[in-house]
Amino acid sequence: MAEATHELAGGDHGHHSNTVSLLGREISVEGGIYTVVFGALAILTVIEVLIAEFLKGAIHDSPDAAVGLTALKAILLLGIAVIKSSLVIWFYMHLKDEKRVIAAVLLLPLLIAALSVMFVLAIPPTGYSI
Amino acid sequence: MAELTANQLPAAHDDHGHMSAEEHNENMKLGMWLYLASEIVIFSIMIVGYVLFRINQPDVVELAHGKLGVGLVTANTFVLLASSFFMVMGLRAMQNGNRAGMLRWIGLTALGGIVFLGGQYIEYSELAHLGIVLGYDTSSIWSTFGMRFYAPTFFHGAHVFVGVLWALEVMRRGAKGRYDDNPIGIEMFGLYWHFVDVVWIMLFTLIYLV
Repeated sequence: MAEATHELAGGDHGHHSNTVSLLGREISVEGGIYTVVFGALAILTVIEVLIAEFLKGAIHDSPDAAVGLTALKAILLLGIAVIKSSLVIWFYMHLKDEKRVIAAVLLLPLLIAALSVMFVLAIPPTGYSI
Repeated sequence: MAELTANQLPAAHDDHGHMSAEEHNENMKLGMWLYLASEIVIFSIMIVGYVLFRINQPDVVELAHGKLGVGLVTANTFVLLASSFFMVMGLRAMQNGNRAGMLRWIGLTALGGIVFLGGQYIEYSELAHLGIVLGYDTSSIWSTFGMRFYAPTFFHGAHVFVGVLWALEVMRRGAKGRYDDNPIGIEMFGLYWHFVDVVWIMLFTLIYLV
């Protein structure tokens, strides 16, 4: 606790500070931004599961709208998963404090993987008919 | 992997080509990020294998979702997210010179990994009981689903297992004061552990929810 008191007294906003600026308000929480990120990850996970379960029921009840709802479900859930992953990489893996070369090391394989995935998904499973 | 402490290294890059502690740390981190980049490609291949199956066999996946359920895996996801939080708090404690705090947090991280693996074992046992197995019987829908389900999840589980061993090693070294001057060894393990968490965030959504 001495450490926390010292940090609070110091009032810095680095990654060791217990003071976090959230939605324009300064809040003090043990663990600082790391605790806030964990809270966000937990809330987003609950939201994900609720969306998945709700839309699963809606798809079951409305077969006519199943294609659209399935696509909506995929977009919403993958969007939340990307936000969660970004939070971990940005704050817990400290990408925000790293040099740009580290971001390039991360983004380049992601880009290559994304292009490869799009290529594989674009190929019909039984080949093109001429 | 042996880490050099600040005391063992010269303060700056000298005429003999010795690296400073800061340069050494930067090199270690770059090496770890490059390793993780290669892991992204491996996991992407496994994920796309599953996604293709998801697109081409939606009925099988829906049946599988009915069997899988989300209760256990959601609890397991929370455990892994919490272990990532424990990990970063362990690094923070060591950076603040709190060795005992670091040991507690990293111990909790290892415990989270063990609980996650226990949950995965229970899940696999239930799935095997329901007939979803790892096999190569192409005439069985559960075998073809099992191939695509177990490959990424088991490979991820293997990473968690390695991470638990690594956490225990970090604790052993940390208890001897290895990281008192330079916590780069903890940071390296943290990068690995958080990456394993990020992979699970994607697998959880893609395999169990979408």
